[in-house]
Amino acid sequence: MTVEDRIKELIELNALAELAGGQDKIDAQHKKGKLTARERVEHLLDKGTFEEFDKFVVHRCTDFGMEKQKIFGDGVVTGYGRINGRLVYVFSQDFTVFGGSLSGPFGEKVCKVMDLAQRNGAPIIGLNDSGGARIQEGVVSLGSYGEIFRRNVQCSGIIPQISVIMGPCAGGAVYSPALTDFIIMVEKTSHMFITGPQVIKAVTHEEVEPEALGGAIRHNSTSGVAHLLAKDDRAALDKVRELLSFLPQNCNEKAPKLPTRDDPNRIDLELRKIIPENPRTPYDIKKIILTVVDDRKFFETQKMYAPNMVVGFARLNGTPVGIVANQPRALAGCLDINASDKCARFVRFCDCFNLPIITFVDVPGFLPGVAQEHGGIIRHGAKIIYAYCDASVPKITLITRKAYGGAYDVMGSKHHGGDINFAYPMAEIAVMGPDGAVPIVFRNQIKESSDPEKTRQELVEDYRRTFASPYKAAELGYIDEIILPEFTRPKLIRALESLETKFDVRKLPRRHGNIPL
Amino acid sequence: MAEVTAPMAGKVMDIKVNIGDAVQEDDEVAIIEAMKMEMPILTYTGGTVKEIKVEKGSSVEADQVIIIIE
Repeated sequence: MTVEDRIKELIELNALAELAGGQDKIDAQHKKGKLTARERVEHLLDKGTFEEFDKFVVHRCTDFGMEKQKIFGDGVVTGYGRINGRLVYVFSQDFTVFGGSLSGPFGEKVCKVMDLAQRNGAPIIGLNDSGGARIQEGVVSLGSYGEIFRRNVQCSGIIPQISVIMGPCAGGAVYSPALTDFIIMVEKTSHMFITGPQVIKAVTHEEVEPEALGGAIRHNSTSGVAHLLAKDDRAALDKVRELLSFLPQNCNEKAPKLPTRDDPNRIDLELRKIIPENPRTPYDIKKIILTVVDDRKFFETQKMYAPNMVVGFARLNGTPVGIVANQPRALAGCLDINASDKCARFVRFCDCFNLPIITFVDVPGFLPGVAQEHGGIIRHGAKIIYAYCDASVPKITLITRKAYGGAYDVMGSKHHGGDINFAYPMAEIAVMGPDGAVPIVFRNQIKESSDPEKTRQELVEDYRRTFASPYKAAELGYIDEIILPEFTRPKLIRALESLETKFDVRKLPRRHGNIPL
Repeated sequence: MAEVTAPMAGKVMDIKVNIGDAVQEDDEVAIIEAMKMEMPILTYTGGTVKEIKVEKGSSVEADQVIIIIE
Protein backbone atom coordinates (compact mmCIF):
# COMPACT_ATOMS: atom_id res chain seq x y z
CA MET A 1 0.00 0.00 0.00
CA THR A 2 1.29 3.43 -0.84
CA VAL A 3 1.09 6.34 1.59
CA GLU A 4 -1.68 7.75 -0.53
CA ASP A 5 -3.62 4.47 -0.23
CA ARG A 6 -3.24 4.54 3.52
CA ILE A 7 -4.49 8.11 3.70
CA LYS A 8 -7.42 7.22 1.48
CA GLU A 9 -8.18 4.24 3.69
CA LEU A 10 -8.32 6.40 6.81
CA ILE A 11 -10.60 8.90 5.14
CA GLU A 12 -12.94 6.11 4.07
CA LEU A 13 -12.92 4.43 7.47
CA ASN A 14 -13.62 7.75 9.16
CA ALA A 15 -16.57 8.31 6.85
CA LEU A 16 -17.82 4.81 7.61
CA ALA A 17 -17.51 5.39 11.36
CA GLU A 18 -19.40 8.64 11.08
CA LEU A 19 -22.25 6.90 9.30
CA ALA A 20 -22.63 4.82 12.49
CA GLY A 21 -25.74 2.65 12.28
CA GLY A 22 -26.40 3.58 8.66
CA GLN A 23 -28.52 6.07 6.77
CA ASP A 24 -31.82 4.26 7.43
CA LYS A 25 -31.22 4.36 11.18
CA ILE A 26 -30.22 8.02 10.97
CA ASP A 27 -33.42 8.78 9.06
CA ALA A 28 -35.45 6.95 11.72
CA GLN A 29 -33.73 9.01 14.41
CA HIS A 30 -34.56 12.26 12.59
CA LYS A 31 -38.13 11.12 12.04
CA LYS A 32 -38.61 10.94 15.81
CA GLY A 33 -37.58 14.60 16.01
CA LYS A 34 -34.20 13.61 17.43
CA LEU A 35 -30.72 14.60 16.33
CA THR A 36 -28.02 11.94 15.92
CA ALA A 37 -25.29 11.48 18.51
CA ARG A 38 -22.80 13.44 16.39
CA GLU A 39 -25.23 16.22 15.51
CA ARG A 40 -25.89 16.67 19.21
CA VAL A 41 -22.21 16.99 20.03
CA GLU A 42 -21.79 19.49 17.18
CA HIS A 43 -24.68 21.60 18.50
CA LEU A 44 -23.46 21.41 22.10
CA LEU A 45 -19.89 22.48 21.49
CA ASP A 46 -18.40 25.64 20.01
CA LYS A 47 -18.25 25.25 16.26
CA GLY A 48 -15.37 23.10 15.04
CA THR A 49 -13.94 22.33 18.49
CA PHE A 50 -14.91 18.66 18.83
CA GLU A 51 -12.03 16.18 19.02
CA GLU A 52 -13.17 12.58 18.95
CA PHE A 53 -11.63 9.53 20.61
CA ASP A 54 -12.03 5.82 19.95
CA LYS A 55 -13.79 6.11 16.63
CA PHE A 56 -12.73 2.59 15.60
CA VAL A 57 -13.60 0.80 18.81
CA VAL A 58 -15.75 -2.29 18.23
CA HIS A 59 -17.21 -4.84 20.59
CA ARG A 60 -15.53 -8.15 21.37
CA CYS A 61 -18.64 -10.25 21.82
CA THR A 62 -18.65 -13.62 20.06
CA ASP A 63 -21.97 -14.97 21.35
CA PHE A 64 -25.34 -14.96 19.61
CA GLY A 65 -23.77 -14.22 16.21
CA MET A 66 -22.57 -10.82 17.41
CA GLU A 67 -19.13 -11.49 15.87
CA LYS A 68 -20.74 -10.87 12.46
CA GLN A 69 -22.14 -7.47 13.47
CA LYS A 70 -19.55 -4.89 14.30
CA ILE A 71 -20.01 -1.16 13.91
CA PHE A 72 -17.24 1.38 14.41
CA GLY A 73 -17.63 3.36 17.60
CA ASP A 74 -19.83 0.66 19.15
CA GLY A 75 -22.71 2.97 20.03
CA VAL A 76 -21.15 5.97 21.71
CA VAL A 77 -19.37 9.09 20.48
CA THR A 78 -16.78 10.42 22.93
CA GLY A 79 -14.25 13.20 23.08
CA TYR A 80 -13.68 16.77 24.16
CA GLY A 81 -14.33 20.26 22.93
CA ARG A 82 -15.13 23.78 24.08
CA ILE A 83 -18.19 25.57 25.38
CA ASN A 84 -17.77 29.34 25.29
CA GLY A 85 -14.08 28.63 24.95
CA ARG A 86 -13.90 26.42 28.06
CA LEU A 87 -12.86 22.77 27.95
CA VAL A 88 -15.52 20.08 28.45
CA TYR A 89 -15.58 16.33 27.96
CA VAL A 90 -18.57 14.68 26.39
CA PHE A 91 -20.03 11.29 25.61
CA SER A 92 -23.05 10.94 23.36
CA GLN A 93 -24.87 7.64 23.14
CA ASP A 94 -25.73 6.64 19.60
CA PHE A 95 -29.16 5.09 19.28
CA THR A 96 -28.47 4.18 15.64
CA VAL A 97 -25.89 1.57 16.73
CA PHE A 98 -27.43 -1.44 18.49
CA GLY A 99 -30.06 0.92 19.95
CA GLY A 100 -27.33 2.72 21.88
CA SER A 101 -27.02 -0.34 24.11
CA LEU A 102 -24.08 -0.51 26.48
CA SER A 103 -21.28 -3.04 25.87
CA GLY A 104 -17.92 -3.50 27.56
CA PRO A 105 -15.98 -1.35 25.06
CA PHE A 106 -18.81 1.24 25.10
CA GLY A 107 -18.32 1.54 28.86
CA GLU A 108 -14.54 1.76 28.47
CA LYS A 109 -14.96 4.69 26.07
CA VAL A 110 -17.19 6.52 28.54
CA CYS A 111 -14.83 5.83 31.43
CA LYS A 112 -11.89 7.12 29.40
CA VAL A 113 -13.43 10.58 28.97
CA MET A 114 -14.65 10.65 32.56
CA ASP A 115 -11.12 9.93 33.80
CA LEU A 116 -9.70 12.66 31.57
CA ALA A 117 -12.35 15.11 32.73
CA GLN A 118 -11.53 14.46 36.35
CA ARG A 119 -7.77 14.60 35.80
CA ASN A 120 -7.96 17.86 33.84
CA GLY A 121 -10.61 19.50 36.01
CA ALA A 122 -13.20 20.02 33.28
CA PRO A 123 -16.95 19.33 33.30
CA ILE A 124 -18.29 16.06 31.88
CA ILE A 125 -21.49 16.06 29.86
CA GLY A 126 -23.39 12.87 29.10
CA LEU A 127 -25.97 12.75 26.33
CA ASN A 128 -28.17 9.72 26.99
CA ASP A 129 -30.12 7.86 24.33
CA SER A 130 -29.82 4.15 24.96
CA GLY A 131 -31.87 1.00 25.13
CA GLY A 132 -29.91 -0.09 28.20
CA ALA A 133 -27.56 -3.00 28.72
CA ARG A 134 -26.51 -4.95 25.60
CA ILE A 135 -28.01 -8.30 26.53
CA GLN A 136 -25.61 -10.29 24.34
CA GLU A 137 -22.70 -8.95 26.41
CA GLY A 138 -24.09 -10.40 29.60
CA VAL A 139 -22.44 -9.44 32.83
CA VAL A 140 -19.74 -7.46 30.96
CA SER A 141 -22.39 -4.83 30.34
CA LEU A 142 -23.30 -4.71 34.03
CA GLY A 143 -19.66 -4.38 34.92
CA SER A 144 -19.43 -1.40 32.59
CA TYR A 145 -22.35 0.33 34.26
CA GLY A 146 -20.72 -0.21 37.60
CA GLU A 147 -17.44 1.29 36.40
CA ILE A 148 -19.33 4.37 35.18
CA PHE A 149 -21.29 4.77 38.43
CA ARG A 150 -18.10 4.58 40.47
CA ARG A 151 -16.52 7.28 38.34
CA ASN A 152 -19.65 9.45 38.71
CA VAL A 153 -19.19 9.22 42.47
CA GLN A 154 -15.46 9.87 42.29
CA CYS A 155 -16.00 12.93 40.08
CA SER A 156 -18.78 14.26 42.31
CA GLY A 157 -17.83 17.57 43.87
CA ILE A 158 -14.64 17.76 41.79
CA ILE A 159 -16.05 18.61 38.37
CA PRO A 160 -19.60 19.53 37.35
CA GLN A 161 -21.41 16.55 35.82
CA ILE A 162 -24.40 17.20 33.59
CA SER A 163 -26.73 14.63 32.03
CA VAL A 164 -29.11 15.20 29.17
CA ILE A 165 -31.77 12.56 28.58
CA MET A 166 -32.63 12.56 24.88
CA GLY A 167 -34.25 9.17 24.40
CA PRO A 168 -34.82 6.06 26.48
CA CYS A 169 -32.85 5.70 29.70
CA ALA A 170 -34.05 2.69 31.61
CA GLY A 171 -33.00 0.15 34.18
CA GLY A 172 -29.50 0.50 35.58
CA ALA A 173 -28.76 3.19 33.00
CA VAL A 174 -30.72 5.74 35.05
CA TYR A 175 -28.21 5.68 37.87
CA SER A 176 -25.37 7.36 36.07
CA PRO A 177 -27.51 10.46 35.38
CA ALA A 178 -28.98 10.22 38.88
CA LEU A 179 -25.47 10.50 40.35
CA THR A 180 -24.65 13.61 38.33
CA ASP A 181 -25.38 17.19 39.36
CA PHE A 182 -28.09 18.08 36.86
CA ILE A 183 -30.48 16.17 34.62
CA ILE A 184 -32.08 17.85 31.62
CA MET A 185 -34.90 15.97 29.88
CA VAL A 186 -36.28 16.51 26.40
CA GLU A 187 -40.07 16.68 26.22
CA LYS A 188 -41.86 13.72 24.60
CA THR A 189 -38.73 11.88 23.37
CA SER A 190 -37.05 11.10 26.69
CA HIS A 191 -38.00 8.60 29.37
CA MET A 192 -36.41 7.40 32.58
CA PHE A 193 -37.46 4.47 34.71
CA ILE A 194 -35.96 1.64 36.70
CA THR A 195 -38.63 -0.76 35.47
CA GLY A 196 -40.71 0.11 32.40
CA PRO A 197 -44.46 -0.18 31.84
CA GLN A 198 -44.30 -3.84 30.71
CA VAL A 199 -42.46 -5.06 33.78
CA ILE A 200 -44.70 -3.00 36.04
CA LYS A 201 -47.77 -4.53 34.42
CA ALA A 202 -46.43 -8.04 34.86
CA VAL A 203 -45.52 -7.56 38.50
CA THR A 204 -48.02 -5.14 40.00
CA HIS A 205 -50.74 -5.20 37.32
CA GLU A 206 -50.62 -1.41 37.10
CA GLU A 207 -51.12 -0.05 33.61
CA VAL A 208 -49.21 3.10 32.80
CA GLU A 209 -47.98 4.81 29.66
CA PRO A 210 -44.21 5.52 29.38
CA GLU A 211 -44.85 9.28 29.30
CA ALA A 212 -46.95 9.20 32.46
CA LEU A 213 -44.51 6.85 34.16
CA GLY A 214 -41.21 8.53 33.44
CA GLY A 215 -41.56 11.25 30.83
CA ALA A 216 -39.84 14.62 31.00
CA ILE A 217 -42.80 16.38 32.62
CA ARG A 218 -43.25 13.64 35.20
CA HIS A 219 -39.63 13.76 36.33
CA ASN A 220 -39.55 17.54 36.32
CA SER A 221 -42.72 17.82 38.41
CA THR A 222 -43.71 14.74 40.40
CA SER A 223 -40.48 12.89 41.12
CA GLY A 224 -37.96 15.73 41.15
CA VAL A 225 -35.47 13.45 39.34
CA ALA A 226 -34.93 16.00 36.54
CA HIS A 227 -33.91 19.62 36.98
CA LEU A 228 -34.69 21.14 33.61
CA LEU A 229 -37.14 20.57 30.79
CA ALA A 230 -36.44 21.30 27.14
CA LYS A 231 -38.79 21.27 24.18
CA ASP A 232 -36.34 19.56 21.82
CA ASP A 233 -32.74 18.36 21.48
CA ARG A 234 -31.34 21.75 20.50
CA ALA A 235 -33.08 23.55 23.37
CA ALA A 236 -31.73 20.96 25.81
CA LEU A 237 -28.15 21.40 24.59
CA ASP A 238 -28.51 25.19 24.74
CA LYS A 239 -29.52 24.81 28.38
CA VAL A 240 -26.32 22.88 29.10
CA ARG A 241 -24.31 25.76 27.67
CA GLU A 242 -26.24 28.31 29.72
CA LEU A 243 -25.99 26.26 32.91
CA LEU A 244 -22.22 25.87 32.53
CA SER A 245 -21.84 29.65 32.22
CA PHE A 246 -22.72 29.90 35.94
CA LEU A 247 -20.28 27.19 37.02
CA PRO A 248 -16.54 26.92 37.51
CA GLN A 249 -14.58 24.23 35.67
CA ASN A 250 -13.89 22.40 38.92
CA CYS A 251 -13.95 22.69 42.70
CA ASN A 252 -10.66 24.58 42.85
CA GLU A 253 -11.88 27.46 40.73
CA LYS A 254 -14.46 30.19 41.04
CA ALA A 255 -17.16 30.60 38.44
CA PRO A 256 -16.25 33.15 35.76
CA LYS A 257 -17.61 36.65 36.19
CA LEU A 258 -19.66 38.08 33.38
CA PRO A 259 -19.36 41.84 33.02
CA THR A 260 -22.72 43.57 33.18
CA ARG A 261 -24.06 47.01 32.41
CA ASP A 262 -26.56 46.62 35.22
CA ASP A 263 -25.53 49.23 37.81
CA PRO A 264 -24.43 47.57 41.09
CA ASN A 265 -25.81 50.60 42.92
CA ARG A 266 -29.18 50.42 41.19
CA ILE A 267 -31.98 51.44 43.54
CA ASP A 268 -35.40 50.08 42.70
CA LEU A 269 -38.47 51.54 44.39
CA GLU A 270 -40.56 48.81 42.80
CA LEU A 271 -39.26 46.57 45.60
CA ARG A 272 -41.38 48.49 48.10
CA LYS A 273 -44.52 47.47 46.27
CA ILE A 274 -43.93 43.75 45.77
CA ILE A 275 -44.67 42.70 49.34
CA PRO A 276 -48.39 43.26 50.06
CA GLU A 277 -49.69 45.41 52.94
CA ASN A 278 -51.51 42.44 54.42
CA PRO A 279 -48.93 39.93 55.72
CA ARG A 280 -51.42 37.18 54.95
CA THR A 281 -51.49 37.93 51.24
CA PRO A 282 -49.19 35.84 49.05
CA TYR A 283 -46.84 37.33 46.44
CA ASP A 284 -44.34 36.02 43.95
CA ILE A 285 -40.83 35.89 45.44
CA LYS A 286 -39.39 35.60 41.93
CA LYS A 287 -40.38 39.24 41.36
CA ILE A 288 -37.93 40.23 44.09
CA ILE A 289 -35.22 37.93 42.72
CA LEU A 290 -35.62 39.26 39.19
CA THR A 291 -35.59 42.88 40.32
CA VAL A 292 -32.38 42.43 42.29
CA VAL A 293 -30.13 40.25 40.08
CA ASP A 294 -28.14 41.36 37.02
CA ASP A 295 -30.25 42.08 33.94
CA ARG A 296 -33.31 40.34 35.46
CA LYS A 297 -31.73 36.99 34.51
CA PHE A 298 -32.57 34.05 36.76
CA PHE A 299 -31.77 30.51 35.63
CA GLU A 300 -34.24 28.50 37.67
CA THR A 301 -33.82 24.75 38.17
CA GLN A 302 -36.48 22.25 39.32
CA LYS A 303 -39.09 24.86 38.51
CA MET A 304 -42.01 22.46 38.53
CA TYR A 305 -40.99 20.40 41.57
CA ALA A 306 -41.78 21.66 45.08
CA PRO A 307 -42.69 25.16 43.83
CA ASN A 308 -42.84 26.36 47.47
CA MET A 309 -39.03 26.41 47.28
CA VAL A 310 -37.30 28.34 44.49
CA VAL A 311 -33.69 27.55 43.53
CA GLY A 312 -31.48 28.60 40.64
CA PHE A 313 -28.55 30.65 39.45
CA ALA A 314 -28.12 34.35 38.80
CA ARG A 315 -25.38 36.97 38.88
CA LEU A 316 -24.76 39.92 41.16
CA ASN A 317 -22.49 42.52 39.59
CA GLY A 318 -21.16 39.77 37.35
CA THR A 319 -20.51 37.15 40.05
CA PRO A 320 -22.51 33.93 39.67
CA VAL A 321 -24.46 32.99 42.79
CA GLY A 322 -26.88 30.28 43.85
CA ILE A 323 -30.28 31.60 44.88
CA VAL A 324 -32.54 29.87 47.37
CA ALA A 325 -35.95 31.33 48.19
CA ASN A 326 -39.21 30.41 49.85
CA GLN A 327 -42.18 31.00 47.58
CA PRO A 328 -45.19 32.38 49.51
CA ARG A 329 -47.34 31.84 46.44
CA ALA A 330 -47.13 28.04 46.68
CA LEU A 331 -48.24 26.18 49.82
CA ALA A 332 -47.83 29.48 51.70
CA GLY A 333 -44.06 29.01 51.29
CA CYS A 334 -44.03 26.17 53.85
CA LEU A 335 -41.12 23.81 54.19
CA ASP A 336 -42.20 20.28 53.37
CA ILE A 337 -40.36 17.08 52.48
CA ASN A 338 -39.88 17.86 48.82
CA ALA A 339 -38.90 21.48 49.38
CA SER A 340 -36.34 20.34 51.95
CA ASP A 341 -34.73 17.86 49.57
CA LYS A 342 -34.71 20.41 46.76
CA CYS A 343 -33.13 23.12 48.90
CA ALA A 344 -30.56 20.90 50.59
CA ARG A 345 -29.33 19.34 47.35
CA PHE A 346 -28.96 22.77 45.75
CA VAL A 347 -27.05 24.23 48.70
CA ARG A 348 -24.73 21.20 48.66
CA PHE A 349 -24.11 21.75 44.95
CA CYS A 350 -23.28 25.43 45.45
CA ASP A 351 -20.89 24.57 48.24
CA CYS A 352 -19.12 21.99 46.04
CA PHE A 353 -18.36 24.58 43.40
CA ASN A 354 -17.62 27.78 45.32
CA LEU A 355 -20.91 29.45 44.47
CA PRO A 356 -22.04 31.93 47.14
CA ILE A 357 -25.56 31.28 48.42
CA ILE A 358 -28.10 34.08 48.56
CA THR A 359 -31.20 33.10 50.54
CA PHE A 360 -34.50 34.98 50.40
CA VAL A 361 -36.61 33.98 53.38
CA ASP A 362 -40.38 34.18 53.68
CA VAL A 363 -41.37 31.05 55.53
CA PRO A 364 -44.31 30.50 57.87
CA GLY A 365 -42.89 27.20 59.16
CA PHE A 366 -42.85 23.52 58.41
CA LEU A 367 -45.98 22.09 56.79
CA PRO A 368 -48.08 20.36 59.47
CA GLY A 369 -49.72 17.03 58.67
CA VAL A 370 -49.66 13.30 59.31
CA ALA A 371 -48.39 12.58 55.80
CA GLN A 372 -45.44 14.90 56.34
CA GLU A 373 -44.54 13.42 59.72
CA HIS A 374 -44.88 9.84 58.54
CA GLY A 375 -43.01 10.70 55.35
CA GLY A 376 -40.04 11.67 57.50
CA ILE A 377 -40.05 15.47 57.44
CA ILE A 378 -37.76 15.26 60.46
CA ARG A 379 -34.94 13.63 58.53
CA HIS A 380 -35.68 15.55 55.32
CA GLY A 381 -35.80 18.92 57.09
CA ALA A 382 -32.53 17.98 58.76
CA LYS A 383 -30.91 17.94 55.33
CA ILE A 384 -31.38 21.70 54.97
CA ILE A 385 -29.76 22.29 58.34
CA TYR A 386 -26.88 20.01 57.47
CA ALA A 387 -26.39 21.60 54.07
CA TYR A 388 -26.33 25.20 55.34
CA CYS A 389 -24.22 24.48 58.41
CA ASP A 390 -21.72 22.49 56.37
CA ALA A 391 -21.49 25.02 53.53
CA SER A 392 -18.36 27.16 53.76
CA VAL A 393 -19.07 29.39 50.75
CA PRO A 394 -20.27 32.97 51.38
CA LYS A 395 -23.83 32.88 52.72
CA ILE A 396 -26.01 35.97 52.60
CA THR A 397 -29.59 35.87 53.81
CA LEU A 398 -32.41 38.36 53.45
CA ILE A 399 -35.65 37.91 55.38
CA THR A 400 -38.30 39.60 53.27
CA ARG A 401 -41.27 38.83 55.48
CA LYS A 402 -41.94 35.78 57.64
CA ALA A 403 -39.32 33.74 59.43
CA TYR A 404 -41.11 31.69 62.03
CA GLY A 405 -40.12 28.86 64.32
CA GLY A 406 -37.58 26.26 63.35
CA ALA A 407 -37.90 27.36 59.76
CA TYR A 408 -36.21 30.65 60.75
CA ASP A 409 -33.14 28.75 61.91
CA VAL A 410 -33.09 26.46 58.92
CA MET A 411 -33.11 29.08 56.17
CA GLY A 412 -29.53 30.37 56.26
CA SER A 413 -29.79 32.03 59.66
CA LYS A 414 -26.88 33.62 61.53
CA HIS A 415 -26.82 30.60 63.80
CA HIS A 416 -26.19 28.28 60.86
CA GLY A 417 -23.25 30.28 59.65
CA GLY A 418 -24.91 33.09 57.71
CA ASP A 419 -22.12 35.59 56.99
CA ILE A 420 -24.36 38.59 56.48
CA ASN A 421 -28.03 38.54 57.41
CA PHE A 422 -30.43 41.24 56.30
CA ALA A 423 -34.13 41.82 56.92
CA TYR A 424 -36.74 44.13 55.50
CA PRO A 425 -38.66 46.33 57.96
CA MET A 426 -41.74 44.21 57.17
CA ALA A 427 -39.99 41.09 58.48
CA GLU A 428 -41.65 39.04 61.20
CA ILE A 429 -39.07 37.00 63.05
CA ALA A 430 -40.49 35.08 65.99
CA VAL A 431 -40.95 31.65 67.45
CA MET A 432 -44.54 31.60 66.24
CA GLY A 433 -47.25 33.84 64.81
CA PRO A 434 -49.47 36.02 67.01
CA ASP A 435 -52.58 33.85 66.54
CA GLY A 436 -50.71 30.78 67.68
CA ALA A 437 -48.67 32.32 70.45
CA VAL A 438 -51.23 34.47 72.28
CA PRO A 439 -53.65 31.70 73.38
CA ILE A 440 -50.69 29.80 74.85
CA VAL A 441 -48.76 32.62 76.49
CA PHE A 442 -51.81 34.46 77.80
CA ARG A 443 -54.09 31.50 78.44
CA ASN A 444 -55.03 32.56 81.98
CA GLN A 445 -55.40 36.23 81.17
CA ILE A 446 -57.81 35.42 78.34
CA LYS A 447 -59.75 32.90 80.42
CA GLU A 448 -60.20 35.36 83.29
CA SER A 449 -61.21 38.28 81.10
CA SER A 450 -64.82 39.49 81.06
CA ASP A 451 -64.58 39.65 77.27
CA PRO A 452 -62.11 36.89 76.30
CA GLU A 453 -62.35 37.50 72.54
CA LYS A 454 -61.67 41.23 72.91
CA THR A 455 -58.75 40.55 75.26
CA ARG A 456 -57.40 37.96 72.85
CA GLN A 457 -57.58 40.40 69.96
CA GLU A 458 -55.87 43.13 71.97
CA LEU A 459 -53.11 40.76 73.00
CA VAL A 460 -52.68 39.54 69.43
CA GLU A 461 -52.26 43.12 68.27
CA ASP A 462 -49.81 43.77 71.07
CA TYR A 463 -47.81 40.66 70.26
CA ARG A 464 -47.77 41.55 66.60
CA ARG A 465 -46.35 44.99 67.33
CA THR A 466 -43.69 43.68 69.69
CA PHE A 467 -42.65 40.36 68.24
CA ALA A 468 -43.80 40.19 64.62
CA SER A 469 -40.97 42.48 63.56
CA PRO A 470 -37.26 42.28 62.77
CA TYR A 471 -36.27 44.42 65.76
CA LYS A 472 -36.03 41.72 68.41
CA ALA A 473 -33.67 39.75 66.18
CA ALA A 474 -31.74 42.94 65.32
CA GLU A 475 -31.35 43.75 69.05
CA LEU A 476 -29.58 40.44 69.47
CA GLY A 477 -27.37 40.85 66.41
CA TYR A 478 -29.05 37.94 64.64
CA ILE A 479 -29.83 40.39 61.85
CA ASP A 480 -26.87 42.54 60.83
CA GLU A 481 -28.93 45.25 59.22
CA ILE A 482 -32.54 46.08 58.52
CA ILE A 483 -32.57 47.48 55.01
CA LEU A 484 -34.94 49.48 52.87
CA PRO A 485 -36.22 47.23 50.09
CA GLU A 486 -35.12 49.57 47.31
CA PHE A 487 -31.48 49.14 48.36
CA THR A 488 -31.53 45.34 48.13
CA ARG A 489 -29.29 45.08 45.08
CA PRO A 490 -26.50 47.37 46.29
CA LYS A 491 -26.63 45.85 49.77
CA LEU A 492 -26.36 42.28 48.49
CA ILE A 493 -23.59 43.16 46.07
CA ARG A 494 -21.51 44.95 48.68
CA ALA A 495 -22.01 42.07 51.11
CA LEU A 496 -21.05 39.56 48.42
CA GLU A 497 -17.95 41.46 47.39
CA SER A 498 -16.87 41.82 51.02
CA LEU A 499 -16.93 38.03 51.30
CA GLU A 500 -14.90 37.41 48.17
CA THR A 501 -11.83 36.49 50.21
CA LYS A 502 -13.70 34.27 52.67
CA PHE A 503 -11.64 31.18 53.31
CA ASP A 504 -12.59 27.77 54.47
CA VAL A 505 -12.52 27.53 58.24
CA ARG A 506 -10.30 24.62 59.15
CA LYS A 507 -12.48 21.70 60.09
CA LEU A 508 -11.61 19.03 62.60
CA PRO A 509 -10.23 15.91 60.97
CA ARG A 510 -12.86 13.33 60.12
CA ARG A 511 -13.55 10.99 57.25
CA HIS A 512 -16.73 12.80 56.37
CA GLY A 513 -19.90 13.85 58.11
CA ASN A 514 -23.04 11.75 58.08
CA ILE A 515 -25.65 13.81 56.25
CA PRO A 516 -29.22 12.66 56.89
CA LEU A 517 -30.30 11.01 53.64
CA MET B 1 -66.47 18.90 34.23
CA ALA B 2 -63.58 20.23 36.23
CA GLU B 3 -62.81 20.09 39.92
CA VAL B 4 -61.07 22.95 41.68
CA THR B 5 -59.26 21.57 44.73
CA ALA B 6 -57.51 22.91 47.82
CA PRO B 7 -53.72 23.10 47.40
CA MET B 8 -53.18 22.37 51.09
CA ALA B 9 -55.17 21.76 54.27
CA GLY B 10 -56.72 24.91 55.72
CA LYS B 11 -59.85 26.90 56.45
CA VAL B 12 -62.24 28.29 53.87
CA MET B 13 -62.18 32.06 54.41
CA ASP B 14 -64.45 32.99 51.55
CA ILE B 15 -66.27 31.63 48.55
CA LYS B 16 -66.11 34.14 45.75
CA VAL B 17 -68.66 32.61 43.37
CA ASN B 18 -72.26 31.37 43.39
CA ILE B 19 -73.80 28.40 41.66
CA GLY B 20 -74.54 29.28 38.05
CA ASP B 21 -71.83 31.96 37.81
CA ALA B 22 -69.76 32.03 34.66
CA VAL B 23 -66.03 31.89 35.40
CA GLN B 24 -62.92 32.20 33.30
CA GLU B 25 -59.53 30.59 33.66
CA ASP B 26 -57.53 32.08 36.57
CA ASP B 27 -60.62 33.65 38.19
CA GLU B 28 -60.48 33.67 41.96
CA VAL B 29 -63.18 31.29 43.24
CA ALA B 30 -62.32 30.96 46.93
CA ILE B 31 -59.82 31.90 49.61
CA ILE B 32 -58.24 29.27 51.83
CA GLU B 33 -56.39 30.29 54.96
CA ALA B 34 -53.48 28.15 56.09
CA MET B 35 -50.09 28.75 57.65
CA LYS B 36 -50.55 32.49 58.16
CA MET B 37 -51.54 32.94 54.55
CA GLU B 38 -54.77 33.68 52.73
CA MET B 39 -54.40 31.87 49.47
CA PRO B 40 -56.58 32.80 46.54
CA ILE B 41 -57.85 29.67 44.82
CA LEU B 42 -57.93 30.16 41.08
CA THR B 43 -59.83 28.03 38.62
CA TYR B 44 -57.62 26.46 36.00
CA THR B 45 -60.48 26.37 33.52
CA GLY B 46 -63.44 28.47 32.43
CA GLY B 47 -67.12 27.43 32.58
CA THR B 48 -70.16 27.58 34.83
CA VAL B 49 -70.09 26.92 38.56
CA LYS B 50 -72.10 23.72 39.00
CA GLU B 51 -71.53 22.86 42.61
CA ILE B 52 -69.90 24.35 45.70
CA LYS B 53 -68.69 21.52 47.90
CA VAL B 54 -67.54 23.47 50.97
CA GLU B 55 -68.90 26.16 53.25
CA LYS B 56 -67.30 29.37 54.40
CA GLY B 57 -65.55 28.68 57.68
CA SER B 58 -65.20 24.96 57.14
CA SER B 59 -61.94 23.06 57.15
CA VAL B 60 -60.59 21.41 54.03
CA GLU B 61 -58.01 18.74 53.43
CA ALA B 62 -55.30 18.99 50.79
CA ASP B 63 -56.73 18.08 47.37
CA GLN B 64 -60.31 18.26 48.65
CA VAL B 65 -62.76 19.43 45.97
CA ILE B 66 -63.96 22.97 46.60
CA ILE B 67 -65.93 23.78 43.48
CA ILE B 68 -67.09 21.87 40.43
CA ILE B 69 -67.12 23.72 37.15
CA GLU B 70 -68.92 22.60 34.04
